[in-house]
Amino acid sequence: MTDRSLEGVSLVASSRLPLREIAVGAGALAVIYLLPSFLSDYWLRVLISVAALVVASLSVSLLFAQLGMVSLAQFGLLGVGGWFALRISHGLGAPFELALVTGGAAAALVGLVVGLPALRMRGLYLAIITLMMAGAIQVLISAFGFPDGGTGILGKSTGARVMMARPFLAQSDPAYFRYAVVIAAFCYLLVLAHLRGRPGRAWAMIRRGEVCALAGGVHIVAYKVWAFALAGFLAGIAGGLLAGGVGQLDGSAFPASQSIMLFALTIVGGAYSWFGPIIAGLMLRAFPALLNEFHVDGNIATVVFGVGLLHALMTAPQGIARQLADAFWAARNFFKGNGRNAA
Amino acid sequence: MPDFTPFLVSGLALAATYVLSAVGIVVLYRASGVVNFAQGAVGALAAFISWSIVERGGPESLSWLAGVTVATLVSLAYGRLIAPRLVSTDPITRAVATLSFGLILLGFMGYLWGEAPRRLRLPTDTMSFELLGVRVTLTRAIAFGLGVSVTAIVMLFLAHSRMGLQMRALASNRELSAMLGVRVFRIDGWAWVISGVLAGVSGVLLADLQRLSGQTLTFAVIPAIAAAVIGRFASLPATVAGALAIGVCEALLTPVPVIGPFRSATPFIFAVGAMLWMQRKPVFVYR
Amino acid sequence: MKLRSAFLAITIGALMACLTGAAYAADSKCGANTGKPATGEPIVIGGIVSVTGPDNFSSSGLAAAAYFKCLNANGGVNGRPVKYLLEDDAWNPEQSSQVAAKLIRDQKAVALVGNMSFVDCGANQGLYEKEDIMVIAGVGVPRDCFFQKNYAPTNAGPRVSNTKAVMDVAQSYPGKIKRLVCIAPNIPNVGEWSCTGAVAWIKKQGGDGKIITFDPGSLDATSIILEAMTFKPDVISVGTPKGMAVPIFAAAEEQGLADKVHFTGPASLYNLDFPRAIGKYWDGKVTVDMELKAADAGTPDMQNWLAVMDKYGTASDPRDTFSQAGYLAARVTAETLLKLDPAKIDRSSVTAALRSVKRFESDMFCSPWYVGDGPRHNANHAGPVSLVKDGKLLPKPACIESEDPELDDARAYEKSIGLAK
Repeated sequence: MTDRSLEGVSLVASSRLPLREIAVGAGALAVIYLLPSFLSDYWLRVLISVAALVVASLSVSLLFAQLGMVSLAQFGLLGVGGWFALRISHGLGAPFELALVTGGAAAALVGLVVGLPALRMRGLYLAIITLMMAGAIQVLISAFGFPDGGTGILGKSTGARVMMARPFLAQSDPAYFRYAVVIAAFCYLLVLAHLRGRPGRAWAMIRRGEVCALAGGVHIVAYKVWAFALAGFLAGIAGGLLAGGVGQLDGSAFPASQSIMLFALTIVGGAYSWFGPIIAGLMLRAFPALLNEFHVDGNIATVVFGVGLLHALMTAPQGIARQLADAFWAARNFFKGNGRNAA
Repeated sequence: MPDFTPFLVSGLALAATYVLSAVGIVVLYRASGVVNFAQGAVGALAAFISWSIVERGGPESLSWLAGVTVATLVSLAYGRLIAPRLVSTDPITRAVATLSFGLILLGFMGYLWGEAPRRLRLPTDTMSFELLGVRVTLTRAIAFGLGVSVTAIVMLFLAHSRMGLQMRALASNRELSAMLGVRVFRIDGWAWVISGVLAGVSGVLLADLQRLSGQTLTFAVIPAIAAAVIGRFASLPATVAGALAIGVCEALLTPVPVIGPFRSATPFIFAVGAMLWMQRKPVFVYR
Repeated sequence: MKLRSAFLAITIGALMACLTGAAYAADSKCGANTGKPATGEPIVIGGIVSVTGPDNFSSSGLAAAAYFKCLNANGGVNGRPVKYLLEDDAWNPEQSSQVAAKLIRDQKAVALVGNMSFVDCGANQGLYEKEDIMVIAGVGVPRDCFFQKNYAPTNAGPRVSNTKAVMDVAQSYPGKIKRLVCIAPNIPNVGEWSCTGAVAWIKKQGGDGKIITFDPGSLDATSIILEAMTFKPDVISVGTPKGMAVPIFAAAEEQGLADKVHFTGPASLYNLDFPRAIGKYWDGKVTVDMELKAADAGTPDMQNWLAVMDKYGTASDPRDTFSQAGYLAARVTAETLLKLDPAKIDRSSVTAALRSVKRFESDMFCSPWYVGDGPRHNANHAGPVSLVKDGKLLPKPACIESEDPELDDARAYEKSIGLAK
């Protein structure tokens, strides 16, 4: 794999106003605002799930791209975050934002617990240990069950189920979609802030060589732990968003296999690109929804998924985002003429 | 103080299933460096084929042979057609590729057979003996014995045969082995054949002992990986011992009041503990 | 329709051929029975079932689809055909909320009929109440399905069913059934809830009961059976879906328990494949509760259901108790819609009309069914019990009325609308 340790770190500070970035951002905002009116309610709900999973995929790609660490437990952490968000929302009647942040914090703590034994491991062993953690989380979630309105930490309601209260500003589906996209954008900004700041540089050094990082005075353990905590926080936020979207979560929806799928599709989407998690989110939720819309047998959808995943692993190890970027640059150079041929 | 003895026996019975799956995983890893997430799915395919033949009135012995043969062929097809294209990628990509293969098989089985209450029966089901007050069918005893004997056979094979030596060489350093004249693709193929046979046999036995269900059998590979972890993906005797420990502990926890309902987390706790123990000395990576 | 394995279809078809021999002669009667196809503006009705996943839960929706096809061929709802849209939620609450939004908000369905899903009740409760749409489900399973204002299943539910199964065993062996073990998957609002009714009942009779929950993903049925036996029960109720029950029965067979303990189970085990799957060892030793009467009862509505399935369904549609429930859900909806002014059929009028269903009779039910305007609906709580014999499920003649204490509010409501016994 090529060395990408300096990607994301800008070498030259620029005082020029990033007009292109602002234009793109404004355009994206306009699209997000107008999009719900063009979509059926079915697709609106699908895109809410997509937004939540984009954040989950971001957590996976953060660990993988910045530190080369494979975490196969992120979907389990999503479940943990969702569990705490539901409990805070039902039990304390707290507003959605507080529940969301609490879920994120709880998942960050559990992410730490997952990360600590993994600090000394790398490659396949790290992946396997996180998979084992995901398995353990799966059992815990199955046994505890998700909160459904009963009192206390483990209370189960004996009557009708209580659904999670949505944010005050975003009760309807279109509003919640916009809210979810805003939260996802915040998560991206959070990651970007880390990348441009001290943690990003520390991670880059650790990725380049641990001995060099140690010689350079970087506290390796602390920064690795920070990365795991941040990834856990993002996964927890994703879980809270999912809980708010559907109103409840199902204990059987967080098996270890889903964590593997999340990792696999993040790689396929492209872990090194900011667009990769978006592709991963679309593949995880929009693609099966598309197949369901045409009443394709769900088993066929599984087969198509497997074939697509296999193909992507064989032909595009940098992910679809990279392929798209390459195609974009190739098209751009083609239209610019034969002048400059960088890419 | 609850009575633990019957659970000791059911634990050994459970361990039999873990041993079988785990040995297959470790053998393939030692021979080709791939963690085979599709092992459960391949085994499930063998079980379904076997069940279908018996359902249509075919002879039983033929049905197992057919099932295991199909499993072997499918495994070989993957090993010769798809795995070589991923040889230059890292182990995780190769492992995820086996997972996608497993998904393809899972979808295929779900489409053809669906989920319905079925029972795969073997003639040894009717013969049983009693151990510490618990009845154990001959099938379970065979599964156990098979797990242990396969371990011994494979160990001997890898240590003393020419092909075993070549397999170990391949797993150690592929380029060097190729330069030394090891026929890479052929040996790879044999490794996948062995994996396919083991997957097929364990699939049929597991379907008999547990449940004939595509979903359950496919994802039973995850606790099997836990047992393989305890063996460090290298040592077969340690894998068998690990699988035994996991199975017995999990069953023994059944009557324990608070922890009982969480006992299916046992394989994972064991695996994490084993990994922590293995990594207790700090290791620096010099790059 | 989706292609299924051919031999599975032939097996089911063969089994059903024995039971439906007489049905071929009967005509299918639906709705107004005019014999003329309906050609007006379609009425949109939806249905959510769980097809892909741990089990195929779609027979209820398929039966409703068949009934609506029959209805459309017989004049529809006063000339208006029913456009029935069946969606798959794949056992996933996210997908369930997506297809519910599709049916209710995009397709503007006036009602949902024939639902059969583990996750639909929990995931979509808020939507159903917000949009005030009635769901006449074929089959409800989790507790949520029986505790909602807008959800009325035609089936009895696992808790009621489990209680009846245990009551039948106690009645068959009077004085001998004192200790009960109920085995259920550890899904709190399905497994444990479904066992508490039976345990509460046996404790009221002076006995004792224990609930054992297990992880559905675990592979160790023997330990579950051994744990059950440490309680020294007289009866064991296997309150699990049929796929999970087979390994438990296999483990019990391995330990030779059929002659030591009575085995029974709720209607989730009532499936034509079940006796063959558990094998000859259990012949005559297992009872399974039924939420509706047996398919071979030969009574008029039962024959009509089979005729409708034969003429308007496909050969691979299961003819099981859930199919019966779907047929009944479709029938009560159609007959309610027929009473409305065809020009004024919209969601609010349909909801009001369905809520006012206070007495719906069929020879498939043991007692009249209703929807009513109460906060929850659990109208079906009586049914026969069957015995596994000769590879089939043979029903016993008597209807058993479930004495689950949780049904007290339902009985009070029935008294108030004049349905009490």
